[in-house]
Amino acid sequence: MKKYVINWVFCIVFLSLLGCGKDNYEAPEATLSGRVVYQGQALNVRGTDERVRLQLYQDGYAKRDPIEVFVGQDGSFSAKLFDGQYKLVTRDGNGPWVNSRDTTVVDLRGSTSIDLEVTPFFTISDAAISLASNTMNTSFTINKIVDNAEIDRVLLLLNATAFVDDGFNLMRKEFTTDLTTGPVNLSAEFADNAKVLEAKALFGRVCVWAKGADQGIYSPVIKLK
Amino acid sequence: MKRKYFYIVGLACILLGNGCSDFLEQKPDTILPNDEVYSDPNLIKSVLANFYERLSRGLKPNTTDQYYQWGQRAGGEQYDYTTIDEAIKYDFDQVNTFDRNRWRVYDYELVRNINQFLQGLNQTTVLSDTEKAPLLGEARLIRAWYYFNMCRSLGGMPLVGDEVFDFTPGDDVTALQRPRATEAATYDYIISECHAIASLMTSEKTTNSARANKWTAKMLEARAALYAGSLAKYNSQMPAPIQTTGREVGIERSKAESYYQQALDAATEVIEQGPYALQDKRPDDKARNFYEAVCMKDANTEVIWARDYIFPGQTHGFTTGNLPASMAQDANTSYLSVLLNLAEEFELINTTTPGVGSKFDVGSLSGTPKFFNTASELFEQRDPRLGGTILYPGSVFANTEVVYQAGQLNQQDGQWIKREGAANSSDAQGNLITSANGPVFSSSLRLVNKTGFGIRKFLDETPGAGTIGRGSEMWEPRFRIAEAHLIAAEAAFELNGGSNAVSLANINAVRTRAGVQPLTILTFENIVHENRVEFAFEDHRYWDMLRWRLADKTWSGGSSNEKAGRRGLWPYRVVAPGSPENGKWAFEVKNMNFIYPNPLNFEVRHYYSELDNSWLNNNPKLVKNPYQ
Repeated sequence: MKKYVINWVFCIVFLSLLGCGKDNYEAPEATLSGRVVYQGQALNVRGTDERVRLQLYQDGYAKRDPIEVFVGQDGSFSAKLFDGQYKLVTRDGNGPWVNSRDTTVVDLRGSTSIDLEVTPFFTISDAAISLASNTMNTSFTINKIVDNAEIDRVLLLLNATAFVDDGFNLMRKEFTTDLTTGPVNLSAEFADNAKVLEAKALFGRVCVWAKGADQGIYSPVIKLK
Repeated sequence: MKRKYFYIVGLACILLGNGCSDFLEQKPDTILPNDEVYSDPNLIKSVLANFYERLSRGLKPNTTDQYYQWGQRAGGEQYDYTTIDEAIKYDFDQVNTFDRNRWRVYDYELVRNINQFLQGLNQTTVLSDTEKAPLLGEARLIRAWYYFNMCRSLGGMPLVGDEVFDFTPGDDVTALQRPRATEAATYDYIISECHAIASLMTSEKTTNSARANKWTAKMLEARAALYAGSLAKYNSQMPAPIQTTGREVGIERSKAESYYQQALDAATEVIEQGPYALQDKRPDDKARNFYEAVCMKDANTEVIWARDYIFPGQTHGFTTGNLPASMAQDANTSYLSVLLNLAEEFELINTTTPGVGSKFDVGSLSGTPKFFNTASELFEQRDPRLGGTILYPGSVFANTEVVYQAGQLNQQDGQWIKREGAANSSDAQGNLITSANGPVFSSSLRLVNKTGFGIRKFLDETPGAGTIGRGSEMWEPRFRIAEAHLIAAEAAFELNGGSNAVSLANINAVRTRAGVQPLTILTFENIVHENRVEFAFEDHRYWDMLRWRLADKTWSGGSSNEKAGRRGLWPYRVVAPGSPENGKWAFEVKNMNFIYPNPLNFEVRHYYSELDNSWLNNNPKLVKNPYQ
């Protein structure tokens, strides 16, 4: 009887030692983080709904599915990966920049940080947003980076959370006529917008959308209330 | 002991001798080999029937029980009707973007099976060549329809012709991998197939228009050519035309005119030589006439090709799901609420600007409301197709009045006050407050209307059609003669401008049948308008907006864009004893953002579906679509 028990215990111990090797992988430990930049400046984009993406490819495997990397609204991105060599590209047609899909080769050993350089159609600088008597006043400078780029629309946006973009907002005012580059002053009234009036906190942002682009470029998010 | 061995050896010998008899051998009774199928005319027909069935639904990639949809269909998923500016469903939906892959069609197994069928049919001797011809034509038409559905969602895709691929393990698989054809070449293939098979097929009408005939082929030829022509023209007018370097997506601008000419020729042939005519049997009741032309199979002169349903066995639940609550025959009701966006697109009969919609003039409940003697008069002044397409307050369905009432309008101190209750509630005097049918202001309450309009098109009047047990036999028209007229009108407009006689004659044929004034000059807006009201809920609107490249401009998101928002029109009954307005009706435009908070937001990337990663992995010669 004792022998029987001992055999069983021995068997379980033996199995428990063996069980953990065969089919378990280590979790990916390396971190690839970085920013989408133009001349060293991170670009502000839409950060919600996975709208702006980068793609990572790794050669040498049978499947060619890209690893989708989502860009946050401050232009940053990160991914947990295995060590190895990856190719980083922007997604086709995606983002407020010129669609040149040059590959950036990333050698990942441990944690790596990179800046992905792109050429935006426009950039926004010196953005200032303020609220006064139910009006959102903005002043900012639109810089044309690509010579033949045209402005399709300019958006003034307000939201009650720190995520502000053309999809997530309480107020979205669109300007489509008389748009020029250089210093711009635009304002939007929200006296008839109950949700904005009731909001306990407000964050503002401006956006410039180039004709034919699938995304706009944004100013940083500015806390207003 | 020795005897024992003897017995064993003896037994073994007996068994060996017996083993070769065939009493254990049976022919499989669930699998029919090719040579048996193609030696029996009835089996050949049943293979063809299977192809028709598979045009309704197909398996999604890498799944065994999930099906993709071939666009909006009464027998399909009703959610498909809620994704554009025609209707919403009864409960909250946070959708804030389009699903570019929703109606993606990709089924090369069907192509392979059709090609096997063509091969088998060509070799068989049980049918004569004249008997084979229409069957060959039908199979090729189904294949062309498949390519068309794939091409409008994915762009140009591999064309495999009539080839039946063979693969034995060890073969070089790369020889079987085909690259994508250009978008233009794919449309060319569809057009040339249809052109070639038209002469093989019968020119007679078929039972319930369920089987394809010569005119089906001509209609597909016309529609494919029209799509290709407008893609060529309107894609090139975009600020950044959507195209791949190999033109798998993106047709050259220079090809537009020849496509439009092909569309015009094919559509004209159907109109002039086909056995179909715009159905106009009830000149005194044009709304009913339009409903019957689209939804009634008996003595129908309108529909050229449809997915037919028949009880028992082949029915669907569209009527069950969408009957108004007061008429419900089963647990479901009121799934779809039709939007004011569509209702106001139906023009006034006596308008001074024929060919465009206009808002309902209802005043304002908080200011000066307009009062109407009946709930229905506002809608009876409109294009009668409204009555054939939409259940409006006070309309009649299956000899019963449909009551939509959001609440009462009471008078207090000279002010008009709205009073809304729960569904099917009455006040102390027994006057109805809110109808059992709705509309009701609640984002979560199901089984009740939300906009003040229900769907009439494809709603079945047959007794019992609204039960889950029986279901509805309502068909799904794919082509009808009105489309031939509108294709001819649009193609001639694009070729020869808005005052040419062919365009005007064709669009006015459709408009006169509908019961609205003829046009004297045609604009692009008139064409967009006419297609929208004529073919609402018939799987045209979405694809039209794509081929005109209007989708991203019209459904551009943003709360200030009325066309991207969703609106209803809520009816109130005046209950103010002593007032001259007592018993009359007033209306208020209601924004549906309490149930659909996000406006329709179509982005440029949604114009084409994505190629699934599994297809790309299996065939490295495929290139991705733009924005993927």
